[in-house]
Amino acid sequence: MIEIDSVSQVFQTSARQDHLALSDISLSIENGAFVSILGPSGCGKSTLLYIVGGFVQPTEGLAKMKGKAIKGPGPDRGPVFQEFALFPWKTVLGNVMYGPRQQGVKHSDAEAQSRALLDMVGLKGFEDFYPKELSGGMKQRVALARTLAYHPEVLLMDEPFGALDAHTRTRLQNDLLNIWERDRKTVLFVTHSVEEAVFLSDKVVMMTRSPGRIRQIINIDLPRPRRRSELLLDPRYQAYIVEIERMFDDSDENELRP
Amino acid sequence: MNARGFTSDLLLGLIPIALLVAVWQALVSFGYAPVTLLPPPGQVFWRMLHQISSVTFQEEIAATLFRLFAGFSIAVILGVTVGLAAAVNPAINAVVRPIVRVLAPLPKVALYPALLLLVGFGHESKILLVTFDALFPILLSTYYGASTVEQKLIWSAMAAGTPPREVLFKVVLPAAAPSILTGCRIGLVISCIVVFLAEMITSTDGLGHVLVTAARTFQAVDMFVPLITISLLGLILNGLLELLRSYLLRGFPEV
Amino acid sequence: MMKRAAPFLACIGLLVIWQLASLALKNDSFPTAVEAIRAIPSILGDKDALVNFGASIRRMTIGFGVAVAVSIPLGLLMGRSRTVASFFNPLLMVIYPVPKAALMPIIMLWLGVGDLSKTLVIFLGVSLPVIYHSFEGAKAVEEKMLWSGAAMGLSAAQRMLRIVLPAALPEILTGCRTGLVLALITMITSEMIARQSGAGNILFNALDMGQYDTVFAMIIIIGAMGIGLDGLFERMRARLVHWSEPQFDIPLSFS
Repeated sequence: MIEIDSVSQVFQTSARQDHLALSDISLSIENGAFVSILGPSGCGKSTLLYIVGGFVQPTEGLAKMKGKAIKGPGPDRGPVFQEFALFPWKTVLGNVMYGPRQQGVKHSDAEAQSRALLDMVGLKGFEDFYPKELSGGMKQRVALARTLAYHPEVLLMDEPFGALDAHTRTRLQNDLLNIWERDRKTVLFVTHSVEEAVFLSDKVVMMTRSPGRIRQIINIDLPRPRRRSELLLDPRYQAYIVEIERMFDDSDENELRP
Repeated sequence: MNARGFTSDLLLGLIPIALLVAVWQALVSFGYAPVTLLPPPGQVFWRMLHQISSVTFQEEIAATLFRLFAGFSIAVILGVTVGLAAAVNPAINAVVRPIVRVLAPLPKVALYPALLLLVGFGHESKILLVTFDALFPILLSTYYGASTVEQKLIWSAMAAGTPPREVLFKVVLPAAAPSILTGCRIGLVISCIVVFLAEMITSTDGLGHVLVTAARTFQAVDMFVPLITISLLGLILNGLLELLRSYLLRGFPEV
Repeated sequence: MMKRAAPFLACIGLLVIWQLASLALKNDSFPTAVEAIRAIPSILGDKDALVNFGASIRRMTIGFGVAVAVSIPLGLLMGRSRTVASFFNPLLMVIYPVPKAALMPIIMLWLGVGDLSKTLVIFLGVSLPVIYHSFEGAKAVEEKMLWSGAAMGLSAAQRMLRIVLPAALPEILTGCRTGLVLALITMITSEMIARQSGAGNILFNALDMGQYDTVFAMIIIIGAMGIGLDGLFERMRARLVHWSEPQFDIPLSFS
């Protein structure tokens, strides 16, 4: 589905220095896979997501979607951001209807579809609210509904639950998996939480500190549908987490040693 | 703020105004100021009521309001357009920014004589002066609002299928609305001030002219009336703009 | 380097446009830029004119200085005490749209045509933006900073002086910058209305006598004063508050 080919990204910082954010990333993502990109802050994982999204052009290398080079954003790759990025001048319903309306869907149809989506994400009754009146968790649900509304083939999620409290986070993780199970879209999920990556994904792409490189790709072989209450006691789940954390600890030590 | 808090705040705020009127009255009653120089508040109040119901005075108000609105509207259209253009297009920005930097601190009222020479002593010179003065706050706040739009809003819209040329109207403009309206509020007050001043310097009609005429004939009462009128007009117009603002920005969180 | 040169280029660009426009219009009352510039040295060399300029600057400095000395404490107090704020807010809002220079005729009746009336009007004009910005700046000071100060044993007055004032300084200086622009505008306008001395006086005398070169030359001079003062103030401000987040570099409000 998505091919990332020797992508590097260089940013110019204000000090006129060049900052190498990503170094020679090559990655292949299959259709229908739930892939997490895991790494510490500043490792360029969000940048990688933005390149796939077409929001940022790579300095070197190429990202391809279904064989075609990614030149810009499009409804085939829908983003969900940590900051929600909801349009404050539109109601919840207005936000969700934006994509379909943009694609030329008739108003009444778009409205019906959007209401159904909002129901699915658990926000029935809140259609006429403005984003400012919602909690963080609710805003993220709207953001998710808004992206799903234009039926992207790929979901690009940039630490979507990072701004939420732990309780809301776990609820939304469960809800996300439930929604994902319905049509199994391809998902690229950026996170710094090992536990979250293992819980949600089929594959975890571990990245190094800046300049970001792929350290390791780990296949998560746990059955679906996944329930947290069951998984917490599953030794394989725990093993994955320990293994990944150990790898991070080791490399940290390597970096600290002179 | 709850109802009780608001009322007590309002009452508290009326005290200095009431005090001012009281001091005013006292100065007259106790003879500290001659009536010719400082008429009692009551006299001013009645005179105001009388003037407002007179057709000639209403025509003066109409002249002032016409120039005010014309100048303000042009300033809004021009300011928002240029501000948006400069925010999204680096080439336009490079040209506009230094010009604004040079013209903004310039006391535009100094241009008034030039305007008089170029377009005459009628409505146009005043409208143009109002436009020049009100333009900059509106332009600057539009530019500021448009250039600080959250990047992820634009990205979300583009991913949803918005072509780049539509992003300006569908995302940047609504997102910049709070800033634009703040600039408009400032521009409106400036318009009130400038139109009045221009009419004072040279005019044959309008509230400013009424003031100057009264001054020349030493009619102190008639001097207060246009001042209070423009103050009230300013308050009313500001209030109307506030109402428009709360409606347009009902979705935005309070800043 | 290009960035530094840009305002100068803008000036030159504007002058070129002026030159071309005046040549195209061939209007007697619209001298070319070159003619106007040529008239400048004769103005600056004229002793009478220099006395006028000196008077203008003196009034502006005094008016500005006193206004700042009074307004900053008042604004700070209003920012930290809701009672004080509620007390003064409505009064200030009423005075706001009244053009301070428009008070000239009345003040002239009371205080004559001399320095005092013009200085008073400048004082009034500068006070409002400085009060407002000091108010906003003081209001925005984080409560927790003051709690830390109290825990360290600072009294209320000390907290005001050593925490609130420095923290609000960036905003206060923005207000002062606006006030400076307003001081210049109010000074010119008051001199245009109450002719007796000053730059505004020279300007309108030239207009009355048909010396159009002088009129436009004065506009350039006054414009240069405005830009120069603003530039100087900016440099001082940047030095004083270099520790603060970058403020939007052109004043948003001229109210």
